[in-house]
Amino acid sequence: MILGLFDQFFTPYFAGIPLLAIAIIAPWLLFPTPSNRVVNDRSLAAQNSFILNFAKQILLPLNVGAHKWALLLTALMINLITLNLLGLLPYTFTPTTQLPLNMGFAIPLWLATVLIGLRNQPTIALGHLLPEGTPAPLVPVLIIIETISLFVRPFALGVRLTANLAAGHLLIQLLSSATLFLLDQMFPVAILTSLVMALLTILELAVAAIQAYVFVLLLSLYLQENT
Amino acid sequence: MLSRVIAVSASGLKSSAPLGAGLVQASRSLHTSSPSLAPVPPLPEAGKVRHGILPEEFFQLLYPKTGATGPYMLGTGLSVYLLSKELYVINHETVAAVTIGAMFIYGVKKFGPGFAASIDKINDEKITWIEEVKDQAIACYADAIEEEKKEQWRVEGRSMLFDAKRNNVAMLLETNYRERLHYVNHEVKRRLDYQLALQNLKVRMEKEHMVNWVEKNVVGSITAQQEKESIAKCISDLNVLAKNVKAKATA
Repeated sequence: MILGLFDQFFTPYFAGIPLLAIAIIAPWLLFPTPSNRVVNDRSLAAQNSFILNFAKQILLPLNVGAHKWALLLTALMINLITLNLLGLLPYTFTPTTQLPLNMGFAIPLWLATVLIGLRNQPTIALGHLLPEGTPAPLVPVLIIIETISLFVRPFALGVRLTANLAAGHLLIQLLSSATLFLLDQMFPVAILTSLVMALLTILELAVAAIQAYVFVLLLSLYLQENT
Repeated sequence: MLSRVIAVSASGLKSSAPLGAGLVQASRSLHTSSPSLAPVPPLPEAGKVRHGILPEEFFQLLYPKTGATGPYMLGTGLSVYLLSKELYVINHETVAAVTIGAMFIYGVKKFGPGFAASIDKINDEKITWIEEVKDQAIACYADAIEEEKKEQWRVEGRSMLFDAKRNNVAMLLETNYRERLHYVNHEVKRRLDYQLALQNLKVRMEKEHMVNWVEKNVVGSITAQQEKESIAKCISDLNVLAKNVKAKATA
């Protein structure tokens, strides 16, 4: 079937049934249930080790009150990294290329951190709007800038993830189209483009993991500010 | 490997199969009964695969009918059919698939053994840690057994200890008794010696007194005449004796 350039970004349908929910829940199918055994098989041991180390890492700078977010942040990380990595497979739909999904992750979580900060320690939370050591004339301007920065955060979170992944997918598609076209026309250039394609794939693998990590890391930083 | 997990819903891999995962999660989340404390059976052996994703059972299934090259012919024929009939259209996704497939295979080949070794190391460390606890507990108990045996041996010697103590006490009592006896002896002898000395003294004093009295009387009874006569006798005796001696000397 002839695929257009943006077909990968359309919600998949099967006989009129939207498969979006399945696409988003797909990571759940790929992770085995932790068992009671001390010694597990390799996949479970690898998963356990990854989740444990990630949770330790992300919760290190947070104080004890914020540790309630451990499950949420870890689950979010696993979900995002799996969605991103699965999207690199051919003919797959990547939900995280859709802005609504990412905004759906970013806005509630960011808002939660802000509200927690304003509820528990309002002075400190508002104090973040003025960095320490600003000279007196700059104070009004800086407060406005910091407020705008605060409100831009969810959009930044969502759009960062969307843009990175969508751009990456688009680049992959473009380069592979180019390679396919050049296979007939100019074969040596096709080799070149396929080399670039290989490098891009490595980059995309890295980006998939890093963007997921950055998303969760920034959320944990916002949480750290506000708890 | 993941396709195998999804494709093969073996009961032995219940904990890792996706449907099995859901079922296990569902029953465990309700906590209707306490978890079984029976020892778990060992993990099943990982399924054998050929070329990383095709299960060995598939090849064994086709072997009787089509021999060793059967599955490969099937694969080739199937792909040629799909491509030639344009049931699978080669488009840009194919190139992307080839690229990512190559990356995946390269990654697994290069980092697979290292990663597996590190995971095995994690498991081995867990086992070592637990066995260390077990060994320490066993060593602790062995030491306790040794100590207990020693205490039992000590208890056996306890009667000897009591005998020795009893002997000691008896010796002390005996010594004390003998000392007192000796003391009594000594005191009685002292008193008797005193009485004896007293009697001796009395007898001696009587004797002396008598002798003194007799001497005094005798000396008092000697008159002057008797004294002169006795002295003249003595002198004549002495002369006779002297003459005798002189005669003996010259003879």
